[in-house]
Formats: sequence, structure tokens, C-alpha cells
Amino acid sequence: MDVMIHSSSFLLPELPADQTSGAGPTYALVLLNQHLPRFTPLLWKHVYAAQLRVCADGGANRLYDELPGLFPDEDASSVRNRYKPDMIKGDMDSIRAEVLEFYKNMGTKIVDASHDQDTTDLHKCVAFVRDFYADTETSTLCILVVGALGGRFDHEMGNINVLCRFSTIRIVLVSEDCLIQLLPSTHHHEIHIQSSIEGPHCGLIPIGTRSGSTTTTGLQWNLTNTEMRFGGLISTSNIVRGGIVTVQSSSDLLWTVSLKKS
Amino acid sequence: MEAMVHSSSFLLPEIPAGDGDGLKYALVLLNQRLPKFTPLLWKHAQLRVCADGGANRVFNDLPLLFPHETPSDVRTRYKPDVIKGDMDSVRTEVLEFYRNMGTKIVDESHDQDTTDLHKCVAFIRDFHADTEDTLCILVAGALGGRFDHEIGNINVICHFSATRIILLSEDSLIQLLPSARHHEIHIQSSVEGPHCGLIPIGAPSGSTTTTGLQWDLSDTEMRFGGLISTSNIVKGEVITVHSTSDLLWTVSLKKL
Repeated sequence: MDVMIHSSSFLLPELPADQTSGAGPTYALVLLNQHLPRFTPLLWKHVYAAQLRVCADGGANRLYDELPGLFPDEDASSVRNRYKPDMIKGDMDSIRAEVLEFYKNMGTKIVDASHDQDTTDLHKCVAFVRDFYADTETSTLCILVVGALGGRFDHEMGNINVLCRFSTIRIVLVSEDCLIQLLPSTHHHEIHIQSSIEGPHCGLIPIGTRSGSTTTTGLQWNLTNTEMRFGGLISTSNIVRGGIVTVQSSSDLLWTVSLKKS
Repeated sequence: MEAMVHSSSFLLPEIPAGDGDGLKYALVLLNQRLPKFTPLLWKHAQLRVCADGGANRVFNDLPLLFPHETPSDVRTRYKPDVIKGDMDSVRTEVLEFYRNMGTKIVDESHDQDTTDLHKCVAFIRDFHADTEDTLCILVAGALGGRFDHEIGNINVICHFSATRIILLSEDSLIQLLPSARHHEIHIQSSVEGPHCGLIPIGAPSGSTTTTGLQWDLSDTEMRFGGLISTSNIVKGEVITVHSTSDLLWTVSLKKL
């Protein structure tokens, strides 16, 4: 079974040398309509290709309203000029008219997908990013999503479901407090912990299905061929012990780790 | 088998006479920002339990909801009956404050296998052992913050599937609809809706049928990785749900 390596290096102030100049993952950034984490500008910086900062509908309101607040010594309009999304996509039922006009006038591509009520705004954005990079190996693509957690619980679950539906693409949901990603059962996983920015609290969650067997190393309470299911044992409030956590499971699991306050 | 009836009448200023089937409420307060309607839940509850750092939240956040009163008056009125958990979050001065006021303190730090919410639910069930059918446990501060905590709280309601437990945040309500029962959810449209969802959190559901939703399900399969019902809309006053697996029902709460 192939090993899939995970690292939250996108949260480091500078990307490691081996990841600059195109050698590392290709990042894309999707902004959703919840309070944006304080490190959003850092993620924005790490996204190299110009076409890959996408606001999902009301995520544009958040960008417009909240980014200036992160740079109190700068003039709001110069912050907005610097943080211009490449695209705004979704069903357009949340974005404010003046925000839409502002970014349209600045050259942001607007894609109204309101005819499609069957998929969430995040689903539409992930599908767009995946199609945009159709020629690139999906194994090097990593979609970072901010604003996916908090607010309405059904939205949160809908966002988690997008990870499950696009299980062959690396998608990381990032909030102020934690990150979440899917560990597909098709791979053995090595999670390299960046202890300056993440941990120690973590969990492994058998989302949507019982997992007959999970084995881990590097955790305070490791699992050894352990069954996990909702209603029974799931691994929450666990603690990262090593620099590397390994996970192998018979079902897809969600990995979650806490983020340190900057 | 009889239908299981659900109603969020605990969110109404007064619980209508004859409503709620004589349910007795207990309130558990967890360590996240407490919703603005927490005093209302407190009023309806007969037993109020803080899970560890939930006591910090009662101490800090409740006075903010009554800006015209002195904090110490508010704290005296809103005194929990029990503080229970592993005590790694509650501040020493908060613990002492409530201990001096007569709150029962139960230190369970020896038990690292269950979450603080699990301990509180088990305690309340034992306390109400004779009247389990009419017990409804309201949990404030269950969502937000660390995702693993949120999921741990959801797992508690899956584990205690025979007990009515309702997780509440400022934005949403979540409860378990046990499988194979016919569920009737009476919508209190002044306080909840219209956004809602049905989520097969622990296992795929081979068949779910609903009435009263914008996008009703009709013998529909649901599973993570495929279709789950989110961003649905409540259309009727009564939603019915019948499923072959346990589902989470969630509905949005209106801003006060």
C-alpha cells in the first residue's frame, strides 16, 4: 500500500526550501462565508498560481470585510487591492451587491452557478479547481479551505461531505482552532507534525461509516487494530506524542489536529 | 410503535401548557461561548450541571447578558447545582466561588476514558433513573472551538441513543433521531428554521423518508461521500422522518 505524506507546512511563515519554486504541492485557496482565521494572509501568500484564490459566494464578503482588520496600520482599500480573489463562484445568494461590483471592477472572474442547487458552494469550487488542474497530478494538488467551520452545523457537515466526495484530492479545512482532512483507506498515512503551529490535541473520526480496524503510532493513546464507530469508540481529545503520526485504517477517517494561537 | 415527538418548546419564553409531554429538563453547560438564550434554558431546567470549564463560562459570560445588573447578583442567581468533570479547565477561583455557594463539586479526573459531557449525561441519567422517559438533557456550548471536541459531544448523543439529548449553539440545534422509529418534529417557527439537515453521521442509511421539507427524501439512500441532506428548508409545521439508520437532525436557530 502506498504511503501518503501530510504536512501542514502551509501554516509556516515561510515554506520549506524544498517546496519553493514549484517542487512542492500546488496550493489553491477557497474562502467560505465564516469568520476568516487570522493566518488567512499567510495562506494567501503560499498560493503561487494566480488563478487559484477562489471565494465561494459570501466568502467574498468575508474577504472584503475582514482582511483590512488584519492590517490595522494600512488603509482598507489598499488591503483590498492586494487581496483580490481570482474568482468568485457559487449560487450568489449571500454575496453583497456592492462587494460583487467591487471585485468585478477589479477584474475578478464571477461565475454564477445558481442554476445548480444540488451541490454546495464548496463542492462547486473544488470541482472548478480540480478541472483547472486536470493536467496536473492530483497528488500534488492541495486545496486549502478557510471559513468551513463554525456557524450552521448543516453547512459544516456539507463541507465535511465535500472532503468525502472528493476523496482522491487533498483538501484541508482550516479554522482558527483546528484543521481537518480526510485520510483515505487506500493509503498508509504519515503525518509530519509541525509542532510550532499545531497540536497537541488531535483526533481520528470514522465519519459516516464504522471502521473495522485502525492502527496508529505517535499518539498518546494509539490504536491497534481497534474498531471505531459513532456510538462506540472514536478517537477524540487524543494527544500527538511524536514528530510523526502514522495511521492505517480499513475505512476513510477524518484527521483533526488543534492549531496553536499565534 | 408510537411516533417519537420532538418540539423545541424549551426555546420559547414560556413552555405552553400541555406541550412537551411533561418533559423534565436538565441543562449541561460546556466550555464554549454560551448562547444568548442560555438564561431561558436555565429557567426551564430543574438540574443545572457545568462540565468542568463550563463553570468558567457561566461565571464570565452570564453577567454579560445582564449588563444592567451587577456581576455578583447575576452569579448568585445563576448558580449551578453540580460541577463535574476532570477539572483540568475550570479556574481555581471559579471553583472556589461556586463551592462556597453550595455547588456540588465532583472531581472525575481519574476517569480519562470518557469526555466531560459523557460524565455529566451519565450523572443526570442516574439522578433521574426513575423518570428516564420524560427526561430531556439540553447541552449549551456544544459546538464551535476544537472539532474533535464537537465530534466527541456528538458521539455522546449517539452513545446514549435512548436518552433525549439536544446540543445547542447560537446558530443550530442538533439531536439524534434513533433508527426505525417514526419521528414527528414540531417546528417552533418563531425560534427555529428554516435551514435544516439530516445527517447519517455514523453509518450509511439505506432508506430515509420524510415529509415537510423543501427537498423531501423518499426511500432515499444517504451516506457520507454521497448524498446527505444539508441546506434543506423546513416547509411544514411538522416534519416527519423515518430512517433505517440513526440520523442527526439539525435546524438553524433564529437570531434573538
